Amino acid sequence: MKKQVKVVLLAMVLLCLGGLLFAQGEKAVGVTGAGAAANLEASLKVDTSVLKAADGQPLLRLSSELPKIPTRPANPEALPDTDPLRWFDMEYAGWDTKKTNIPASPKDGAIGKRVVMIVHGDHPWTTACSNGAKKVADAYGMDLKILSPNWDLAVQNQMIDQSINERPDMILIIPLDATTAIQQARRINQSGIPFIFFNTLPTAEAMNYAITWTGPDDFGQMRKLAKVFADEMRRRNPGAKELGIAYVQHAPGGSPYFARSYGPLSELAGYAPEVVTLDMQAPGFEADRTMQLVSDWLTRFGPRLKGIFAADDSAQALGIIEALKKAGRDDIVVVAAGNSKIGMDMVTDGSLFAITYQTAEGDGALAVQTAADWFNGKELPNRRDIPQHIITKADVADFYPPQW
Amino acid sequence: MMRKNKLDKSKLLALGDRFRIYILFGVIFIFMSLFAPRFFNSYNLTTILRTVSMNATIALGFTIVMICGEMDLSIGRTATFAAVIALTLQKKFGYGISVPIAVLAGAGVGLLNGILVAKIKINSFIVTIGTMTILQGATYTITGGNSVSLSGDKVFAISDFLAKPLLPMLPPRVLLTILFVVVFHLFVSNSQWGRNFYMVGGNRTTAWLAGINTDRITITAFILSSTMAAVAGILFAMESSAATLNMGDNSLMYVVSATIIGGTAMSGGKGGILRSVVAVLSLEMLYTGTILFGFGNEVKIFISGLILALVVLYEAYASYKHEKTIGQRAVLLEELAQAKEKI
Repeated sequence: MKKQVKVVLLAMVLLCLGGLLFAQGEKAVGVTGAGAAANLEASLKVDTSVLKAADGQPLLRLSSELPKIPTRPANPEALPDTDPLRWFDMEYAGWDTKKTNIPASPKDGAIGKRVVMIVHGDHPWTTACSNGAKKVADAYGMDLKILSPNWDLAVQNQMIDQSINERPDMILIIPLDATTAIQQARRINQSGIPFIFFNTLPTAEAMNYAITWTGPDDFGQMRKLAKVFADEMRRRNPGAKELGIAYVQHAPGGSPYFARSYGPLSELAGYAPEVVTLDMQAPGFEADRTMQLVSDWLTRFGPRLKGIFAADDSAQALGIIEALKKAGRDDIVVVAAGNSKIGMDMVTDGSLFAITYQTAEGDGALAVQTAADWFNGKELPNRRDIPQHIITKADVADFYPPQW
Repeated sequence: MMRKNKLDKSKLLALGDRFRIYILFGVIFIFMSLFAPRFFNSYNLTTILRTVSMNATIALGFTIVMICGEMDLSIGRTATFAAVIALTLQKKFGYGISVPIAVLAGAGVGLLNGILVAKIKINSFIVTIGTMTILQGATYTITGGNSVSLSGDKVFAISDFLAKPLLPMLPPRVLLTILFVVVFHLFVSNSQWGRNFYMVGGNRTTAWLAGINTDRITITAFILSSTMAAVAGILFAMESSAATLNMGDNSLMYVVSATIIGGTAMSGGKGGILRSVVAVLSLEMLYTGTILFGFGNEVKIFISGLILALVVLYEAYASYKHEKTIGQRAVLLEELAQAKEKI
């Protein structure tokens, strides 16, 4: 037993010695003087507007419409879920922030910069997102390293620490959880490494520490989808005093969970008061579990159920449509967030009424482009949104071939 | 001479087997230090120690359960459950009250597990799967399906205190983990109570015949396991100022793998606290190395599975060899046959 203790103590001493010997790790080497000016000049000449996504759409698209930001209520959390201002801190996160300790742009160009991108997890969407990011990184000759914690917060925290250890020129990160992102943001900010959040929104406080955020305005998109959803239900059920709907939710915790449930819920409360929420459930992203959930709803609510709002247009939508087919309920309007091949095929065949334009490649590409713009010394807004669009049968063909 | 060589070889193999986890640790540490970019520096080593803290703390109690020949699948969910309680109550009462309540809640889970296994005689696999599911539901009910997070200068001050090194490379959370390791190691290896865990795991009937209260020992093991899982979850949440609903999920497979790789037998009666902790540390160094080499999470999972598979395969082979050796003791078999004839 004493031997074991000695071995462990020796191991600890080795670790300590190692740490002390190499106390500060490696430092990033920057470009200075004439080299920096030349690099900036070359970098500014790079034209990424010609890049295309796999669906033939332009890879980089920026929303030209700026949202009208209402006045923040004193305590949004005290408001009911049906009040759009209840979600103020999530929906408008980043627009009004007090930036803290943000590093100044080196203004030495994006070419040759080392960028670490930490995504949320392995998924076909992530693959497409990474492809888009790589296209822009390649155009600028950036060294892009992509890390995936596979939905594990502890692993993402560890990856953040390891990225800090590597001292890259920039960190791009999809926060795994909106609320836990504050500490992650503080940690990167304290290290002095510039970083950008992308894809999913963290809470407003976390945004104080980031240069900016890029991605889809999920709340805005869901509000648009909710209106299209209500219109179609009204068309199919003329004069109905009650339109019962149910929500298949995203994974709890992340911003899509809130945006894709409470975005439409609070929008419909004002736009279509006859819409009644019968249930909200988060079955995960498995078709069979979603199918079971929807089958239960059909038994429980019967003809009262007129519509289903899903957070995912692939596995969840598959489960929903399968359950409806088995029950012979083709009267139910189904809409879903997402822009996958499965979703687009179902919009084409009419089983899914509408989905949202959600360019995965464009999402990753915009994050890297924004990093490049920062290296190039461009002034950045607090948020860079991807344009919103609702895809229906009328224009689904324009988005083929799908990105994922 | 030949016999002596054979003995030396078998002694060496036995020694290698006994210290295999320390050898693995040394090999991984040296390899990563030499070849993994930016592995061997204080920031990275601090990161490794901080990351290890949670699973090493969970492994302390879990190892005791396995030494007793039982299994606790609820550790990950207990960590999440306790973290959620600690953070939810903190908003009203502060950490001074919320943390003890959360630790007690964790201990309560262990007590329930222990009673169901020891007194009601339900298989620990079944019991802890049930507890795991109940805890998941309870956590979702408490949080309404959302993560719990805290903010404010006081909370961040505590969070920063736990994360920033107090001594070179040793933040308070790591120092606490080291303290837990020392206490648990001394308790399990030097106390009568600790030795009883091995007795119960080795042969429950013999332990009972020797006058050991086997039920009490089993219940204690489960309480320690859940309590340490709760403590680990709470400390992680305090450092992150947040608790997500799946934060402890991956700890289960990680801790089970590390404990088995560390040499604790699933059948019970064999193993050690230090071995499990060193195994957790070794796996973490391996994971960190894979990331530093630029490999993805999938490679990390693959390597972890591969090591576990190799260890289980080795254990099976060693067990087979052991049984074969027993069968070859012709003299003993003869004596047994003679004894039977006399009866």
